[in-house]
Amino acid sequence: MVFEFEFEEEDFTTQHNGKTLLRILSTAKPHWRWLIGFLLAISLISILDSYSTFITKRIIDEGILASDKNALRELILLYLGIMLFSSLGIFTFIYLASMLGERIQYDLRQNTFNHLQELSLTYYDRTPVGWIMSRVTSDAARVAELVTWGLLDITWGTISIISSVTFMIIINWKLGLLVFTIIPLLLIIAGRFKKVIITEYRKVRKLNSKITGAFNENISGVRAVKALRREERNLEEFSKLSTKMFESGFRAAWLSALFLPVVQIISALGLGIVAWYGGLQSGLGELSIGGLSAFIAYITFMLWPIQDMARVYAEMQQAIASAERIFSLIDSHPEITDRPGAFDPGTLRGDIKFENVDFFYQEDKPVLKNFTLHVRQGETVALVGPTGGGKSTIVNLLCRFYEPKSGRIMIGDHDYTSVSLQSIQSRIGMVLQSPHLFSGSIRENIRYGRLDATDEDVEKAAILTGADEFINEQEGGYDGEVGEGGNLLSVGQKQLISLARAVLAEPDLFIMDEATSSVDTITESLIQKGLSVLLENRTSFIIAHRLSTIKRADRIILIDDGRITEMGSHSELLKKKGHYYRLYTQQFRKKLEDELDPFALTTAASD
Amino acid sequence: MNIGVETIPEILETQLMNMDHKYLSNPNIVDTNRIRGLWELMAGQRRIYLVAALSIGVASTLRAGTYYLIRYFVDDVLADESQHNQLPYIAFAFLAFALLQGLFTYISGRLAARTAENIVRQLRNYIYDHIQRLTFAYHDKTPTGELIQRTTSDIDAIRRFFSDQAIGFGRIILLFLVNFTALLLLSWRLALASVIVVPFVVALSYYFFNKISKAYEEYQQQEAVLSTTLQENLTGVRVVKAFARQEYEMEKFDRENWEKFLRGKHLFLIHSIYWPISDILVGTQMIAGLGLGALMVIDGALSIGSYLAFTGLIVWIIWPLRGLGRLIVQMSSGLVSFGRVREVLRVEREPLDEGIGIAIGGLVGKLEFEKIGFRYGDQAQILHDINFSVRPGMTVALLGATGSGKTTLVNLLPRFYEYTEGSLRLDGVELRDYSREALRQNIGIVAQEPFLFSRTIRENIVYGVGRDVTNREVEEAAQAAAMHDVILTFPEGYNTMVGERGVTLSGGQKQRIAIARTLLKDPRILIFDDSTSSVDPETEALIREALQKLMRGRTTFIIAHRVQSVQGADMILVLDRGQIVQSGNHAELMNEENIYRRIYELQTQVELELEREISGV
Repeated sequence: MVFEFEFEEEDFTTQHNGKTLLRILSTAKPHWRWLIGFLLAISLISILDSYSTFITKRIIDEGILASDKNALRELILLYLGIMLFSSLGIFTFIYLASMLGERIQYDLRQNTFNHLQELSLTYYDRTPVGWIMSRVTSDAARVAELVTWGLLDITWGTISIISSVTFMIIINWKLGLLVFTIIPLLLIIAGRFKKVIITEYRKVRKLNSKITGAFNENISGVRAVKALRREERNLEEFSKLSTKMFESGFRAAWLSALFLPVVQIISALGLGIVAWYGGLQSGLGELSIGGLSAFIAYITFMLWPIQDMARVYAEMQQAIASAERIFSLIDSHPEITDRPGAFDPGTLRGDIKFENVDFFYQEDKPVLKNFTLHVRQGETVALVGPTGGGKSTIVNLLCRFYEPKSGRIMIGDHDYTSVSLQSIQSRIGMVLQSPHLFSGSIRENIRYGRLDATDEDVEKAAILTGADEFINEQEGGYDGEVGEGGNLLSVGQKQLISLARAVLAEPDLFIMDEATSSVDTITESLIQKGLSVLLENRTSFIIAHRLSTIKRADRIILIDDGRITEMGSHSELLKKKGHYYRLYTQQFRKKLEDELDPFALTTAASD
Repeated sequence: MNIGVETIPEILETQLMNMDHKYLSNPNIVDTNRIRGLWELMAGQRRIYLVAALSIGVASTLRAGTYYLIRYFVDDVLADESQHNQLPYIAFAFLAFALLQGLFTYISGRLAARTAENIVRQLRNYIYDHIQRLTFAYHDKTPTGELIQRTTSDIDAIRRFFSDQAIGFGRIILLFLVNFTALLLLSWRLALASVIVVPFVVALSYYFFNKISKAYEEYQQQEAVLSTTLQENLTGVRVVKAFARQEYEMEKFDRENWEKFLRGKHLFLIHSIYWPISDILVGTQMIAGLGLGALMVIDGALSIGSYLAFTGLIVWIIWPLRGLGRLIVQMSSGLVSFGRVREVLRVEREPLDEGIGIAIGGLVGKLEFEKIGFRYGDQAQILHDINFSVRPGMTVALLGATGSGKTTLVNLLPRFYEYTEGSLRLDGVELRDYSREALRQNIGIVAQEPFLFSRTIRENIVYGVGRDVTNREVEEAAQAAAMHDVILTFPEGYNTMVGERGVTLSGGQKQRIAIARTLLKDPRILIFDDSTSSVDPETEALIREALQKLMRGRTTFIIAHRVQSVQGADMILVLDRGQIVQSGNHAELMNEENIYRRIYELQTQVELELEREISGV
C-alpha cells in the first residue's frame, strides 16, 4: 500500500515569484531541444487549427456559393493535408512534452536525493521524513507539470487566440476588433473563478485526509471502541465529519460545474454581437456567409484555450510554492562538511579522546557538559545509564554525525575535524538499536558493509556472527527477500544481519546501540558469539543493556545528565555498591526471572 | 451566486437531505450483481440523478437548437433583405439559448455532484458504523491497511463513478443521440454518411485505454517502489552515513528513478500514438462529410443554412466519442472498487442490543463457568472444559504462558467471542441471553497496551462514559490512577493531544489513563491485563496502587505472567494450552506439588543466584 503524505500546505507568500519562475524554467535547460520541439509543434498546431476554420470559410464562399466543384475539391484536399500534418504535430508535442515532464521529474528527484545524502543529521532531526517524501514526489511532479503542460497550454492558448483574432480581422476587421474586446474580460473572470475553485478543492483534500485518519483510528482501535461501547457516539462524530466533507465536496463540485456555463454565456455575448452586427454587415455585402460561419466557429471554440489558460494561471501559484520548497531543500547546506585541507589518515586505529566537549541540540538544553574521556586503542567501553542521559550523543559525536560545540575529539593524533568525513565514516562499523535493513535479499543487506565482498566473504561473515543458521532455514537462503524495511524478519534476525554487515565492513572502530527489547535466549547467545568476533582488537563503544555485554566490557561508564557518574570494571563498580550496583541487581533479577520462565518449563514437562 | 440558478436545484436538494440513513441495509446492494448493486445504492436519489441526466439532454437539445437557429438566420434572415429587422431578435435568441444551455449544464453538473457526494456520504457513514460492529473474529483476520484502502480509495472511486464517469458516459451518449437526431432531420443521407467511423473510433479508444490503464498501473507500481526506496533511505540515514554508502544509495535510487522515467515514457508513447490516430479517423470523417455536404448544396439538395448547421452538429457527435473508451475503462475499475466495498458490507454485524438488558447497579457479578469450550470456526480448539465459579467481588488471577488461552477466556465475558461449548452463567442467567451492549457497559477492560485515540487526554479519559462528566470527576479519576501529576506537566494539561500531534505516552502512562477511563466507567466486572512488558519498578508500583483502588468491590480478572502479581488473588487459575491445570489461592497452591509451586520456588532461586553473582566479584 502506498501512503500518501498529506500535510498542511503552507502558503508561501513570496515576493520573488519571477525569480522562482525563471529557476523553474531552467530545469528544462539541459533538455532545451525537447522544449523547443514541443513548443514549435503546439504553435504550429494552433495556427493550423485556426487556418482550418478559415478553410471552412473558403469552402463555403469559394466552393459552395461559387458552385465551383474544382475549387471545392482542392480545398477539401488542402484541409485533409493540414489535418494529417497536424496529427504529426500532435504526436510530436504529446511525446516530447511528456518525455520532458518525466525527465524533469527524474532530474529533480535525483538532484534532491543526491543532495539529501550530503545533508547532516541535524537536518533529519528537524525535518520529518514525510515532509521530505512529498518534496521528492508530489512537488517534483507539480513543477514538471508547470514546465511542460502548463507552458504548453499557455502557448497553445495564446497562439490560438492571436491567430483566431488575426483571421477574424482578415475576414472583417471591424467585427474582429469588436470580438477581441471580450477576450480580456473572459480571461480575467475565468482566472479568478478557477482560483476560487482550486481553493475549494484544497479544502476538500484536507478534509479527506481527516476522514482517512478517522477510518484509520476506528479500524485500528476497534477493540477499544467495542469495549467502551462508543459505537453510537463515534458514528455521530463521524457523520458530522462526513457531512462537512459532503458540503465541501459538493461546493467545490458545483462551483466547477458553474465555470464552463459562465464562460460560455459570456462568449455567447460575442455570438450575439456577430449575429446582429455581422448580419447588418453581410447585408451590406461586407461579410460573406462563410465569413459569418467562421466567426461563429472561432468564438465557440475560443472557450477551450481560455479555460486552459485560466487553469494554468490558477495552478501556477501552487506550482511555484512547490518549487520553492524543493529549491529550499536543494539549497540547504550540510552543516558538517570537510574542512579545507581535510585528509585521510588511512586508519582510525589509535586512542580516542573526548577533550572538554560541550554539546547541545537546542541551545537552552545542554546535553554534554565539559565531557572528557580517554579510550585506549582496542578497548571495549560500555556506556550505561538512563535514557536521555547522553549516551547516544557521545556515539553520534564520535561518528561525526554532529560535531562538538566546544572542546575537541581526537582520533589517534588528529583532531577529527581535520580529517575527511569519508575517512571516518567508512571505517566505522555500526549496529543500531532498531536494525535498519533495506528491501532486497539477505545477501545484499550483508554486502552493504563492503560492496566488493564476494559471496564467500558474505557467508563467512554470516557464519562468524551466527546468522548463517537461520539464513539457511529461510526460504531462498541468502537470496531470500527481507521485505520492506526488513519486516519479513524478526528483530533478532535483523540484528544478526546487521552484525554480519558490520563484521564484513572490517571497521577500525565499532559502535553498537543495543536493543532494549529482549530477543529470545537462543538468538541472544548467537548475538553474543557474533559480538565477540567483532570486539576482538577493536576499539568499541557499546550502549549496553544486556548484562552479558556489560560484563564483558573492559570499562563500564555510567552516564547521567551529560556527565560520567561512575566508571570502572564490572567488579570495581559492584564493590562500590552505587548506582551501577542497583542497576545491575535489578536487571539481573529480571533476567533470571525471564530465563527461568516457568511456562517454558511446564511445556517442557508436559511434552 | 445567482438566485435564479440556485432555487431549482435547491428544492430538489432539500428532498435529499431528508434521506433515510438505513436504506443501505437493503440486501440488494450486496446480493445482486454489481450494476444492480450500484442502482440500489442510488435508492432515493435516482430521480435526482435522472433529472441530472435529463438536464444534459435538454442542454444538448438546446445546443442543437442553436445550430437550427443559425440555419434560420442564414437561410431566412440574411438571404432576405426585408427580414433584417429581425437581427436583434436573432442576437437575443443566441444569448437566450446560451443562457438556458448554461443553466441546464450547470443543473446537471450540480445534481450529479450532489447525488455522488450524498451517496458516498451515506456509504461512508454506513461502512464506518459497519466496521465498528463487526466481530473481533473478523478484525483478527483482516489487516488494517486493507480495510483502510476499502473505506477510503475504493469509496472515492465510487464517488468518481457517479459524479464524473457515469454522467460523462451519459453525456456522450446523449450528445450523440440528440445531435444525430438533429442531423437526421436536416438530411438523413448526410447524417448516415457522417457516422461511418463511429464504431471504429469507439473500438479504437477502448483498445488503447485498456493498454493505457495497464501501462499506468505499471507506472504507479514503480512510483511505489521509488517511494519505498526513498523512505528506506531517509529512515536509514544513520546506516547510510555510518557505512559511508552515499554513492551506492544514489546509484540505487537512480536505477529505480530511471525505471520510472522509462515507464512514464512508455505510458505517454501510447498516448502520443492514440490521439493522432483517432484524430486522423475523426478528422477524415468530418472532412469527408464537409465535402459531401458541400456537393449537396451545390446540387441544390441542401440549403446553405442547413450546411452550416451540419458543420456545427457533426463536431458534437464525433469528437466526444474519442473519450468513450477511457470512460468505459475507468467505469470498470469503479465497478471493481464497488465489488471490494461490497465484500466488507456483506459481512454480518454482531447485534448489540439483542438480549436481556441490565439495569444500572443491577449486576451482582457472580459467574459460573461450566465445561466452557471455544474454537474459531473449524480451527483447533482454543479453550476446553473450563470449570470454575466466581463469587461477587472476588479477584481471579489467570496465570499461563503466551497462547495458553488467558485472553480468550476473559474475552468471552463481554461476548467479544462466543463460547462454542458449555454454559456460562452471570448472576444465574446464561451469558448468551444478555445483550452485548449490557455486558460491555458493565465490564471494564484495561489492556496491556491500551489503545488511546488522537484526542485530548481529557477526551480519552471520558471516552467510555455516556454522560457529561465534570472536570472534577476527571481529575479525581486521574488522581486515583496516579496520572494527575504527570498530566499537569504536559504543555496543555488535560487538553494536551495524545499521539502524533501531541505527547507520546509511555506504555505505563497509557495504562494509567486506561485505568482512569475505567474508573469513570464504574463497571461491576473488571479485566486487567498485567503482562507488564517494560515498565520500571517505580511505575509498576504506581500502577499497582491505582489498580487496588479500581478493584475495590468489583469482580476482577487479572491476566498475569509472573507469580508476584497473583499472590494476593482470591483464586488463581493456572492455564496451559486452553485448560485449567491448577486452581486455588496462593496458600492452597503452595501445598500442591505442581507447576505453581515450582514457579514460586524459582523465585527463591533467582535471589540466591543474585547473591552468589555479587559475592563472587
